[in-house]
Amino acid sequence: MADPPVIRGVGLTKVYGNLVALNNADFSVGSGEVRALIGSNGAGKSTLVKILTGAVAPTRGAVEIRGQEAPLGDPREMIRLGVACIYQHSNLAPAMSALDNIYLGRQPVNRFGFVDARRQRRQALELLDRHGITLDLDAAVGGLPTVKQKEVEIMKALALDARVILMDEPTGWLANSEVAKLHGTIRALKASGVGIVYISHVLDEIFAVCDTVTVMRDGRIVAESAVADLDRSQVVSLMVGEKLARESVEATQHTRHPRGNGVVRLKARDLAKRGVFHDVTFDLYAGEIFCLTGLIGSKRTELVRTLFGADRFDGGVLEVDGRPTRFSAPANAIVHGIGFVPEDRHRDGLMLNMTVTENLAMATLDRFRHGFILNRRGMIAAGRQAIAALSIQPPDGSHAVKLLSGGNQQKVLVGKWLSRKPGIIILDEPTVGVDVGAKAEIYALLRRERELGAAVLVVSSDLDEVMTLADRIGVMVSGRLVAIRDADAIHIEDIVREMGAEAA
Amino acid sequence: MTIRPASATLVLFFAGVVAVFSVSAPRFATATNIENLMSGFSFVAILAMGEAFPILVRGIDLSIGAIVGVVGMVVFDMTLIFHLPGYVVLPIALVIGALAGVVNGALIVFLRLQPFIATLATLAAYRGLIYAISGRQLVPGLTTTPIRDSWIIGIETYFDLGGRLGVSKLLTMPWFPLSFFIMLTVFAVLQTLLVKTRFGRDVQAVGGNSEAARLAGIDVRLVTVVAYGIAGICAAIAALILVARFTTSTEALGAGMELTAIASAVIGGVSLTGGVGSMFGPAVGAFLLGAVLLGLTLEGVPQFVQQITTGIVLLAAVGYDRLLLLRQKSGHAVGHAKVG
Repeated sequence: MADPPVIRGVGLTKVYGNLVALNNADFSVGSGEVRALIGSNGAGKSTLVKILTGAVAPTRGAVEIRGQEAPLGDPREMIRLGVACIYQHSNLAPAMSALDNIYLGRQPVNRFGFVDARRQRRQALELLDRHGITLDLDAAVGGLPTVKQKEVEIMKALALDARVILMDEPTGWLANSEVAKLHGTIRALKASGVGIVYISHVLDEIFAVCDTVTVMRDGRIVAESAVADLDRSQVVSLMVGEKLARESVEATQHTRHPRGNGVVRLKARDLAKRGVFHDVTFDLYAGEIFCLTGLIGSKRTELVRTLFGADRFDGGVLEVDGRPTRFSAPANAIVHGIGFVPEDRHRDGLMLNMTVTENLAMATLDRFRHGFILNRRGMIAAGRQAIAALSIQPPDGSHAVKLLSGGNQQKVLVGKWLSRKPGIIILDEPTVGVDVGAKAEIYALLRRERELGAAVLVVSSDLDEVMTLADRIGVMVSGRLVAIRDADAIHIEDIVREMGAEAA
Repeated sequence: MTIRPASATLVLFFAGVVAVFSVSAPRFATATNIENLMSGFSFVAILAMGEAFPILVRGIDLSIGAIVGVVGMVVFDMTLIFHLPGYVVLPIALVIGALAGVVNGALIVFLRLQPFIATLATLAAYRGLIYAISGRQLVPGLTTTPIRDSWIIGIETYFDLGGRLGVSKLLTMPWFPLSFFIMLTVFAVLQTLLVKTRFGRDVQAVGGNSEAARLAGIDVRLVTVVAYGIAGICAAIAALILVARFTTSTEALGAGMELTAIASAVIGGVSLTGGVGSMFGPAVGAFLLGAVLLGLTLEGVPQFVQQITTGIVLLAAVGYDRLLLLRQKSGHAVGHAKVG
């Protein structure tokens, strides 16, 4: 190892508000090395990647490229230094052609300063040829199927002639045959001395293509090893941690209630929305927690928004308590006793400038109404009860919600809906950005609702959460509900396999 | 290349409007009327092409009408009060226009203001500035003095191309105003800039997905400021054409023109959601709007109805833009697919 690593992060720390997303991480990749970066959601992988690409500046720490200190938070300079990234979320300009997207910001120009379209096309065709990818270069990217969009992103990184390529879930959208092709490309890049960081939840891929592995948990790097020295179960327990592994065993011991008390509250048959999801069939029972999991982009959010009437569906049947229903607006769903905790609490869920009490009362204002006048005293009393029941910190209803921590904001949001005593409650990623303690409290709240006979539907990407909470688990892949299993009868790795299953 | 297929539709629509009025409106298809269309709407086309740049970077510039007024008054002052020669006044006018645009861009980029709010504020500020520098208020005696500088007045020149080519014996050709050729030049320069240069691609990238553009190393802020600067320069060119025509300037010069320019750009397929559009669309859009308005005038439709018509045409164009977007969305997950 005479050569310095192609990229190295030293003591990287990133703090968002009072959340430490990344804590003193040391990380490096050598020339020709494929390093897997794994960990649960919220472990800090994406933050680390963003720092290495210059998309965000770290709070503390330094980045070196081939032994030279690199500027922080400057994406343009990092690109110039040969750092490319395939982001998890699409980073394309939809109205522009594939060709223009591949060379976004770096089109070759002739000596008059005009874009040399012929050279650009020739280079792109060479690149496509070399990597055995077929692509319509003139098609507008927004009109391409998702898989092709991902290929455009990969081409974009390859066209950079990068020395380091960071791949954040590169196979999330790809079919198995295409994954194999991508792995071929990765091996070719490795042979030419490129260093690669490979982020994936699919353990098979890590064993197939990676040399070394870095495991992250709660913003820290907890292990580094050669892939050959580990087996799958070791990797999983490193990812979730001893404590959570133990807790999830305990959670399993405490009884699960698949199909709850046997009463179907919500029934979906072949539910479909054109171009979004289709063939979605499931029953949601009173007294159970049903978790829907899947990769980002598997359309879980879109599905549950439809169940709540926030979006329309255009095929199939939705029944609530045995009656076919088609909610035209969330207000209808609320009348039918459905509560919905949306994914983005800042955008969709809370009035950040209003007080805790006001937010808690938002879904139940009718109860505090005498004619047109609101009974503030009643509202405050109810708020005080709810704050105690949810153990919201600080226990003061007159604080503006925006001053609370993420976990406490989430408790307010959940509490707001629970106060309506909904028979059916849908939660979309209820614990994203929430600390461990608040997570446990939210789990306890949901279990209590279940014991009281509510039907609970939780969308979650966090597999630990799914394993901890669920009575039954549904897996969505590319807009289809591909599997429903009792939580007792499935292992975390089975879910991972289902999630990575070939997109039909 | 992102000339949308709507270009063909636009030309067809233009042809349709011309055909209808040619039959129904007296004197619509005459040389005089075509001359009116060219002289009356070439500067609108220039404004619309300039306005297209802020819209392409997913913004808007409400202040271009006010910039027209500022530049007009600066020309008035420099020629009539300071007696500067036209060849000095012309470049200064363009620089003033560019600066006014750059101020808009800088407010948006550095203070992170919404383009709508920032340019609404500068619309008010620039309008106030016109009164502050108005030579009509400072030297009341000049109100009726026309500008005589040949460099400026020369902009209002007409060419009898038909006569020169010797075809006027066969058919009556309109005289072509110089402003029409200025418009063609602006079109050629801006279209080349948009389609043939790195800057043009960057403009489309910033409007299409600004985070992707930033991560690709594009200087999003610089691109945005330059886009508003281009709108300002185009406003200055339009101001020069108008001052040359009136041989003077007033405090009201350019009032309300932002609306016509935005309407023309949107009719021409420049998407309000950013990143989509060419220079061809706004130019044709301006003349399409012009043909409708002139046609209605010839039909004897009153002025206020024409304003209502402009509004309705704008609504229809924006509605069509939304429709295309919705259709695209339901087809495929586009760009920033939502987490879920």
